[in-house]
Amino acid sequence: MSAAPALERPQVVSHAQQALSYTLFDCKWVPRSARLLCLGSAARGCGIAQLYELRGARLELLREIEKPKPIKCGTFGATSLQQRYLATGDFDGNLNIWNLEAPEIPVYSVKGHKEIINSIDGVGGLGIGEGAPEIVTGSRDGTVKVWDPRQKDTPVANMEPVQGESKRDCWTVAFGNAYNQEERVVCAGYDNGDIKLFDLKTMSLRWETNIKNGVCSVEFDRKDINMNKLVATSLEGKFHVFDMRTQHPTKGFASVSEKAQKSTIWQVRHLPQNRDIFMTSGGSGSLHLWKYEYPAQRSKKDSEGAEMGVAGTVSLLQNVTLSTQPISSLDWSPDKKGLCVCGAFDQTVRVLIVTKLNKI
Amino acid sequence: TAVFVSLPVPGARATPGSIFCTERYLKVSVPPFLFEAILFAPIDDTNSTAKIENGNIFFTLYKKEPAMWDSLTLENVDKEKLQYLRENAVLKAHEKAKEEREAKKVTKEEHKKYALEATMKLEEAERKRIEDLKEKERQKVTEELELWKNQQKEADKYKSIQKEQELHQEIGQIKEKKNEKMNKTRIPNEGISKTKHKPSKGHGSCSMFSQNLKEEQLPAPRSAATIKVNFTPRAFPTALRESRIAEEEEWLHKQAEARRTVSADLSELEDLKEEEKNPDWLKDKGNKMFAMGNYLAAVNAYNLAVRLNNRLPLLYLNRAACHLKLRNLHKAIEDSSKALELLTPPVPDNENARVKAYVRRGTAFCQLELYTEGLQDYEAALKIDPKNKDIEKDAEKIRHLIQGTIQGS
Repeated sequence: MSAAPALERPQVVSHAQQALSYTLFDCKWVPRSARLLCLGSAARGCGIAQLYELRGARLELLREIEKPKPIKCGTFGATSLQQRYLATGDFDGNLNIWNLEAPEIPVYSVKGHKEIINSIDGVGGLGIGEGAPEIVTGSRDGTVKVWDPRQKDTPVANMEPVQGESKRDCWTVAFGNAYNQEERVVCAGYDNGDIKLFDLKTMSLRWETNIKNGVCSVEFDRKDINMNKLVATSLEGKFHVFDMRTQHPTKGFASVSEKAQKSTIWQVRHLPQNRDIFMTSGGSGSLHLWKYEYPAQRSKKDSEGAEMGVAGTVSLLQNVTLSTQPISSLDWSPDKKGLCVCGAFDQTVRVLIVTKLNKI
Repeated sequence: TAVFVSLPVPGARATPGSIFCTERYLKVSVPPFLFEAILFAPIDDTNSTAKIENGNIFFTLYKKEPAMWDSLTLENVDKEKLQYLRENAVLKAHEKAKEEREAKKVTKEEHKKYALEATMKLEEAERKRIEDLKEKERQKVTEELELWKNQQKEADKYKSIQKEQELHQEIGQIKEKKNEKMNKTRIPNEGISKTKHKPSKGHGSCSMFSQNLKEEQLPAPRSAATIKVNFTPRAFPTALRESRIAEEEEWLHKQAEARRTVSADLSELEDLKEEEKNPDWLKDKGNKMFAMGNYLAAVNAYNLAVRLNNRLPLLYLNRAACHLKLRNLHKAIEDSSKALELLTPPVPDNENARVKAYVRRGTAFCQLELYTEGLQDYEAALKIDPKNKDIEKDAEKIRHLIQGTIQGS
């Protein structure tokens, strides 16, 4: 194997890691800082949030917060840069927003769902995008709810199963298309392979499809632009990239799919500094870095003259195996290109640096 | 020191293989010629040479001990000694060959080992080189990170100082805000803050002002609305954790087994026609009779079928229906129960059959005035098939009946 071309590809360098004494479900960078947050569940059944700071090649624990219920997911997406409040969803269906400086009492709290909140996303904060800050939660009780921190107790939008329909677990949610104050969409992925796109401006279902295997993670490449691409990952190692610029009246959005690892792909995260690069994390403890290339023409006319999208191609830039257990959470730092944190079920959180992303 | 022997071999071709030489024995066999010589004294056979030229073989034999030989060969040797010497020679040759072989092997192995080590070293070197490159990358990247972090820290400090300053400014401004336009007051302050802005990254501090603006401009919370969704139905195969594959397999297996059962009691049945020995054909016959209203005939058909194969649940199920019509209620109950027994494990495949079995048994119970048992069976049927209106109606009727008897008594 000749080393030169291989070393010109982006390398994933392990920078620091920390063994934890609890199960880690989510890890997030605190915006505008070198601090990261680990959320999880301790063996004694309570929720733990730990705040670490990256110092040299080590992670130093700054603060540990304990909560009565295990925490499944969190986001900084809906807060301002000054406040940096953390919104979390826990195993009991509670949505809480915490001020990390004073974490005893939540700033906002609501029992949003009857069952565990599997996924949470926020939009409108951090100086990105326009419009009111909102938080969306997806739960095992089959509903997807959108919350506004200024409105107590009731969600501003609720996507629930029709009466009498047997519910399917919602595994993942994501905001997108928030390019002005009115427009916003929520994309939700369910355990039976359904992907549904809800338009919050018209309060209707804009598109749905089924990718046969349970959807573990969905993410738009950018939340705050006209929706461009959506990546959905699923069980059995497959992920689909949808081109969201052109919606065909019957065929929906064009997509390309790739089968990467033999195991579940748990998370997909786009690089904040380059929306065509994303990383997927797998059940075999591996991370794959992908690049999407656009086709020559992004849309074409079909036989009836309706516009339909053309999907591009995905190529693998690098892959690395870090652990024997699934890597369940992944987050890129919005401040430093290539810095990312991943948390795996082997109770370790790892800080990684991906090099040479400038040269792509 | 050497003996030179010239051997004429006219006409015949001599090859190296036809020469056999050991320390004391020399033989040349070139058919039809044979030359044999027991040498006077031992020679150094490894160094001695033989040259084969057309028609002649020229030997150069180096003596082990330099001395004059009386003659080339040993004289006065009798046959036995000759034989012995010959054999000895052959043996010696063998041994020598063996030794040579082994020596060769040993050298070969050493060579192999050497080659292996050499390749390993090369690979090691290659690996190390890559590792080193990676290490360098790592260090470079770590340094960059540290640099960036320090920059962040300074930026943060800067921001906190700026915040304080801006707070002071704001307090002074609040009085003016109500009177003057926002833009007018903003410009002079922005001007000042802009010059301080240059070294720090991001627009965090600047947005403090725009934050105030933004709060006034943030849209009101959305009016609450609900969107109803339908889910794609998942027919078998279901999501793996919900799948009842094991049970479905069991059911299929059982059905296959049942079909293969042939009752042993064939002695009386020999005079039956071929098709009359087929339980499926008999079942069809029975169904036809039932449809025509000839319930006794149907029962007969089913009985015969059961004798042939007592593991087909549908036979019992249909026989139960006949018995119901014939008002043989106890037999109906028996048959329905047997059918239900055979219809385990409960899977979507045999849903219809199970519903029918429960309903028939329930009916039989009710006609025997055992209303509670009947209701139980109707409710079981309803559980499998909740959308069936008839079963619901009947269940309701039974409930009323039960309540009526309780009230009456």
